[in-house]
Amino acid sequence: MKHLRAVNQKARRIDDFLTSTREHVVGLQQPPSPPKMRVPLGCTLIFTPGWEVDSAGGAAGLCQPLERDIYDCYVDCYWPAQVPDHLNNATDWTAKCASATKDWRNLDLIFP
Amino acid sequence: MNKSALLILAALSVAAHGGTIFLPGYPDKILAVDEASRKVVDKIPSEIGIPTSISLSYDRKKIYVTSNDRNGVEIIDIATRQVLDHFILNDGRQQHRIYGVGADPQDKILYTIVRDVTKGTDRYEIGKYKYGVIDLSQKKIVRTVDIPPDEQEGNNPYPGMNPFHVSPDGKYLYQFRDKVTILDTSNFQVIDKIDLAKPDFPDLAAVGIGAPFGTLFEQGAFISLFNAEDSIVHRRLFGIARFDLNSREFQFTEVGPAPAGMMGMQVAPDRKTGYSVVSNGEHGNRRCEFWAFDLTKNQRTMAAEFPCRPRFSFGISSDGKHLYLYGAGFEIEYWNAATLKHEETIDLHNDVTMGGIIVVP
Repeated sequence: MKHLRAVNQKARRIDDFLTSTREHVVGLQQPPSPPKMRVPLGCTLIFTPGWEVDSAGGAAGLCQPLERDIYDCYVDCYWPAQVPDHLNNATDWTAKCASATKDWRNLDLIFP
Repeated sequence: MNKSALLILAALSVAAHGGTIFLPGYPDKILAVDEASRKVVDKIPSEIGIPTSISLSYDRKKIYVTSNDRNGVEIIDIATRQVLDHFILNDGRQQHRIYGVGADPQDKILYTIVRDVTKGTDRYEIGKYKYGVIDLSQKKIVRTVDIPPDEQEGNNPYPGMNPFHVSPDGKYLYQFRDKVTILDTSNFQVIDKIDLAKPDFPDLAAVGIGAPFGTLFEQGAFISLFNAEDSIVHRRLFGIARFDLNSREFQFTEVGPAPAGMMGMQVAPDRKTGYSVVSNGEHGNRRCEFWAFDLTKNQRTMAAEFPCRPRFSFGISSDGKHLYLYGAGFEIEYWNAATLKHEETIDLHNDVTMGGIIVVP
């Protein structure tokens, strides 16, 4: 509809109204809370590729260093890492590595 | 050794007396940390898999640990730090997935939210959430009750959650979530709902904050921070609510406008001071503050900003003199509760899960 142009007063008022609805209106109300993520049943059910981004598409929501995130990705699947399935297929994945930041090289490789 | 040296040693031993922190750790242990020496003094084995939730027994002498891979329950004696018992709920191709338990006043049964998962030849059949009762003597789930459809979303569990608080008379189950929901223990029917909401903490709320949300005293009095909405312009307010779990009566005192994010309240043993963590902004713009409250006047008394990690949990020491930040890693940060200043960060040499914290004197 971009090729249409308001040519009279009433059409311009409609155009102004539609424009105003698209503007960011700041009021006193609380911002709507974002929809809550449901925790899936296995980490492989959620696909957010890579360590690089958090749920907002940035890196600020990630732990520093990133290795701090890996176990909680493994258990509750909330953070954006592809890790083995804690619940069904790789329950002993963390058995050789007590502290992911310090000894992550001990983590087993899991091949699906 | 002369007499003065002995006196100094005796004084040091008294000064060094502190409580014990219990933290569930990867991959299969519960860490016991001495509060005074700030050292890991014991590692209690978890026989049930990765410990994803811990909670205190009603008599405050035991700890219940649960896992959600093998779906087990382990009982640890606090005094001796020994495992008293443990059992697994999974049965062959059937898993009974649990995310935390609430003990009844006799410490004979545990209330939980359970979801059955059945392994088929080509798929897993995922059941709906149900209320469940675990009998500790029979070591199994002895009763389940379907959760009504309109209650399913509110009962969506997460690791580290404490699904229920049980009243001292054993008659009522309390859920502190989007509303305060009170259920009858005999049939899990909803008796009452109160329009007070557990405050959210962005990014963390959906996965559990790990720490206890409020403080439950011996006589069944529960205190924490809640959000409410005023009836005129519908602005969100936060305040301090005190519940009597037996009589179902509560008292809510408004404190001020609700911040964007707020954790529950940690109360000092003198019951006169409480602490919470408040956040504003998200991700890289997030700013966190400790807030201290005078519970005799229901007023905020102190606030101090601190550099918050993307994910953390919040707790208080057994003597109320320190605040703990922990989780998402292998450290506990000690903060002075009187000054809200950082004191020390201790290395546990072991990652901890988001299963919560138990601190005992």
